[in-house]
Amino acid sequence: MEGEILLLVAIREKIDIPHLCYEESLDPYGACRLCMVEVVTCGKTEMTTACTLRVYNGLEVLTDTPEIIRHRKTLFELYLAEAPKSEIIKTMAERYGVTKTPFLKKIVHDDPLGGKCILCGLCVRVCNEIMGASAIQFINRGPYTVVNTPFFEENPVCMGCGTCAKVCPTEAIVIEDISDERIMKSWSNTKIRRIACTECGRYFGPEPVMKYINTRLDPDLIEKLHTICPACRGKTIARQEILAKRGDIGNHV
Amino acid sequence: MGGSMRIKSRSDLEEVRTIGLSKIQPDRPRIAIGLSTCGIAVGGENLFNRLYTLIKEGGYDIALTKVGCIGYCKEEPIVAVTIPKKPLILLHRVFPENAEEVINAVLKGEVPESLALCRILEWDHITGILQYGEGFDTIPLYNDVPFFLHQTKVILRDAGFINPEDIDEYIAVGGYEAAYTTLTERDPDAVIDEVKQSGLRGRGGAGFPAGLKWEITKKAKGTDKYIVCNADEGDPGAYMNRNEMESDPHMLVEGMLIGAYAMGISEGLIYIRAEYPLAIKRLRHAIDQAREYGLLGDNIFGTSFCFDIQLATGAGAFVCGESTALVASIEGKTGRPHPRPPRLTDSGVWGRPTDLNNVETWCNVPVIIAKGSKWYSGIGNSSNTGTKVFSLVGKVENVGMVEVPLGTSLHRIIFDIGSGGAGGKAVKAVQTGGPSGGCIPVRLFDTGVDFENLNRIGSMMGSGGLVVMDEDTNMVDIARYFINFAASESCGKCVPCREGLKHILLILNKIISGKALAQDLILLASLSDTIQKTSLCGLGQTAVNPVQTTLKYFMNEYEAFISQEKR
Repeated sequence: MEGEILLLVAIREKIDIPHLCYEESLDPYGACRLCMVEVVTCGKTEMTTACTLRVYNGLEVLTDTPEIIRHRKTLFELYLAEAPKSEIIKTMAERYGVTKTPFLKKIVHDDPLGGKCILCGLCVRVCNEIMGASAIQFINRGPYTVVNTPFFEENPVCMGCGTCAKVCPTEAIVIEDISDERIMKSWSNTKIRRIACTECGRYFGPEPVMKYINTRLDPDLIEKLHTICPACRGKTIARQEILAKRGDIGNHV
Repeated sequence: MGGSMRIKSRSDLEEVRTIGLSKIQPDRPRIAIGLSTCGIAVGGENLFNRLYTLIKEGGYDIALTKVGCIGYCKEEPIVAVTIPKKPLILLHRVFPENAEEVINAVLKGEVPESLALCRILEWDHITGILQYGEGFDTIPLYNDVPFFLHQTKVILRDAGFINPEDIDEYIAVGGYEAAYTTLTERDPDAVIDEVKQSGLRGRGGAGFPAGLKWEITKKAKGTDKYIVCNADEGDPGAYMNRNEMESDPHMLVEGMLIGAYAMGISEGLIYIRAEYPLAIKRLRHAIDQAREYGLLGDNIFGTSFCFDIQLATGAGAFVCGESTALVASIEGKTGRPHPRPPRLTDSGVWGRPTDLNNVETWCNVPVIIAKGSKWYSGIGNSSNTGTKVFSLVGKVENVGMVEVPLGTSLHRIIFDIGSGGAGGKAVKAVQTGGPSGGCIPVRLFDTGVDFENLNRIGSMMGSGGLVVMDEDTNMVDIARYFINFAASESCGKCVPCREGLKHILLILNKIISGKALAQDLILLASLSDTIQKTSLCGLGQTAVNPVQTTLKYFMNEYEAFISQEKR
């Protein structure tokens, strides 16, 4: 379709274009440079990123010329040096025949992202653009760039939603749930209170997220959703369904 | 003239012109010190203070003032002395201890000949000609000075002659005349046509036709558009824009005013780096003065046109000179580039169509309007019209600000104007275009300096820095210097620039420490290529130019670092 992002078209058509920093719900960012393709105009080719290119009728694109493959290989070598602990990067690179890197590997002791971060910025962007929390940001610039909370301190604005970990392409972000606490290991050990289910007593959602959701819910639903864990909610719904079938009470939630 | 004077007619402008002329050519001696950053750096301010004290204590009838930099930075502090009915005399290397000598001579209607650099009988300000008197025949003429002889002063026409902190003096030499004619008599589209006809190309480095960009911005959908001046000059060794703003700030204001009228835009911004405090001060002052005279603000020249300029200062990031990063910085965000399109002309500052031009591009506008596109396109060659200001620095004899027509050969600039290597050493190469440019070996010095020629030999125009290297300079070390700069100024967004430049630097360090193998040179070349082809913005794409050109032209110097047994 005219105006669609080329990378999305490629994904739909099962044309393999490697990418690390693209997420459909966010603005195109163009940082990982892996999705570079060659656009052919009047016999001349020009390299550009598939995640920023909008398609139009008659667009001619080459996705795996020797030139592109050569650059992708070098980029993978750079990624292998930057995130030497990432198995996902290793797997992606292997598909291009890249199994080792000629570059000096980046070794950071006590790296909160475990030597897996490739600074694609997805976590920063979802936290900012989707969740509106802006709990994490880029720190420093150039080769010294890292992602973390301001001043590497626990950040009270973090809701503990975990969207950052969900979108991370290299699974670098570590979150640990211990009873009533969620610990954002990668984000300066920011701690978030979890709430207990009023039915079974088990801890489930992070409190700030539940509150955030409440602001967007029908007041009638808040009581039931806020305090009951998904498992118990399922049971409640099932019970109500059965009762309704028997004609005892009205509708379910 | 009262502070509330607003210029509404040609006769108002004439009135100010008369006042201004009486300041530039008063009926008493005038001593003007070149006080741009370069002049201040070599003690110009001390000289000014010493002269001020002497004149005050002696109660002498001498006008003491400051002017911008005439460009001959090597000979600073430069003092311009005007004695009624005598030629304008430039004194050079004047220090506080010479102050009494200067005053005593001037009081006798003379100048200290031992300090004299040259005399000027008549000066073409392009927008007007000033005649000086006769005399002092033993002092060389302006054109007898090799540094000046081959230059063509168009943008620097007023630099060193007028007080940059006094709008009256700018108006005295024909300033704001072009803006007046434009706003009161000309059709906006005709102004754009004039700029297109002139062939003016963006002086920020890319060389995009300025008139075309104006037209695109004007036609872009949207309201409340912006025009922006890029004054984030950050190349090491480049200070053309600084000098232009410090020496003649009204030239920039007038250029933007004409552009705003042509595009029908009422808001202007100057994005200037915070490291230029004097330029910021003088620009603010110039903008205030222009507002006072009704040349900025509402109903300019009494017409219905409204336009004003605000300043936005940077926070010390080289990458903010890149257009999209610059916009992010103006909006208060981190200065990181984003992919284009959308281009600024569609979505720039606060998402509105924005026209962004370099300081020097704007500075060309008043003369194009004043003298016409035909006159302007007669300078330079067919596809590279006009002049370009270069800062000639490094290991060259005559360090300074050089303005020549585009297409002038490097040989002319470096040997004829610059007098070759400092201290008589042999010149080996020149780096053009700052950290994003390349090193051009002396055997290619016949190359005419224009946008296409420089690209063809692996370098670029950039904003106009020329760093000269002599026989003692190691080219691998030069490459390392520029890569170190680019790597630490990378914003860190895309991987080739952030990681790639870091590894280039590591490889160069390895080479210089003598630990590299021949294969490291191959790795260096292939990594450079990937960085150039895959980086997100201009910084990364061009940052490897110093490496690529030194590999191409000075391979022997790389090989010398690789020991025989390792080859």
